[in-house]
Amino acid sequence: MRATISSDTDSRKVARSVVIGLAAIVAILLVAAVFLFVNLPDANAFNARVERIFIENDLTTQAEIKLLEILAQSGTSFGDTLTSYRMVIFVLMVFASALLIAALVFLVTIIGLNRRMSEIEKRGIDISSLMISRAENKVYLNDMAFSLTPANVETLSVLAEARLDDEYLSGTAIEAVLTGRNETDCEEAAGATRIKRLRDSLGNQLVSEVLVRNVAKKGYVLACPPEAIRVQ
Amino acid sequence: MLAATLVFTTGAEAACYATYKAKRDDPLRLHYGVAEVTSPDCTPEAASVELAPRLALDGWILLAIVEMIDADKLGEVRKSAGDYFLRY
Repeated sequence: MRATISSDTDSRKVARSVVIGLAAIVAILLVAAVFLFVNLPDANAFNARVERIFIENDLTTQAEIKLLEILAQSGTSFGDTLTSYRMVIFVLMVFASALLIAALVFLVTIIGLNRRMSEIEKRGIDISSLMISRAENKVYLNDMAFSLTPANVETLSVLAEARLDDEYLSGTAIEAVLTGRNETDCEEAAGATRIKRLRDSLGNQLVSEVLVRNVAKKGYVLACPPEAIRVQ
Repeated sequence: MLAATLVFTTGAEAACYATYKAKRDDPLRLHYGVAEVTSPDCTPEAASVELAPRLALDGWILLAIVEMIDADKLGEVRKSAGDYFLRY
């Protein structure tokens, strides 16, 4: 039997766009580099020009020829400067492409974050931290504190431990862990009752925290923007 | 009469000179020189054909033949040619 494979087409699309973007940046850099190296004149351009001047003009005395040679030499030394310019321009191009790549990576990250944000908005509440404080009989969900009864804290602790081990617990198993009795002596209904109490207590406080707010001396209000409300 | 003509023509052949311009690369060196042309026809084409390999032996590249001159005009170009007066 084949395992169920859940594929994330969105992330694959993003990865492909990243690859295409990186390839485009590298291609732009390469094309620019080629243009750069082709278009910059080489040191020989000066020599060729001096040579043409020598051929086309009536420059025959030794002093004139010496001067032409000096001209060519200064041209050659300028050619050396040109190579250093070329190096500088190339380094700048590498910097520019690094910046482009960084910008692309940031863009992709922002797109990914936006997608996650909209998912979170759809799902309601996203639990990024769950801290159980047995001493205070409190549970902290994303820095929101909820007071529970000691029995509820115990139930929640058992569930949290099972979650850490990636295990599922049945009602009987919960009851067995909490009472310390053998699972065969426990009833499913007893565990279910514990879960129900936890849900009631926590659910009530959660809704009052994130949805139905009570502001002192003012009254009750729904904790959502007015434009989000639609009645059909 | 015939002998005289022969002597005259050979004399004319011997007195064929070319002034030329040549170069050497890396670093660019230039020179203006005078060379004797031994080929029977005293034309710039013949001179360049003859001079190019002679100059190439020392790494010089013939750029152009300036003009063909007679022996009696050698004195005028001697100073300009300097070291390269009849060297190749």
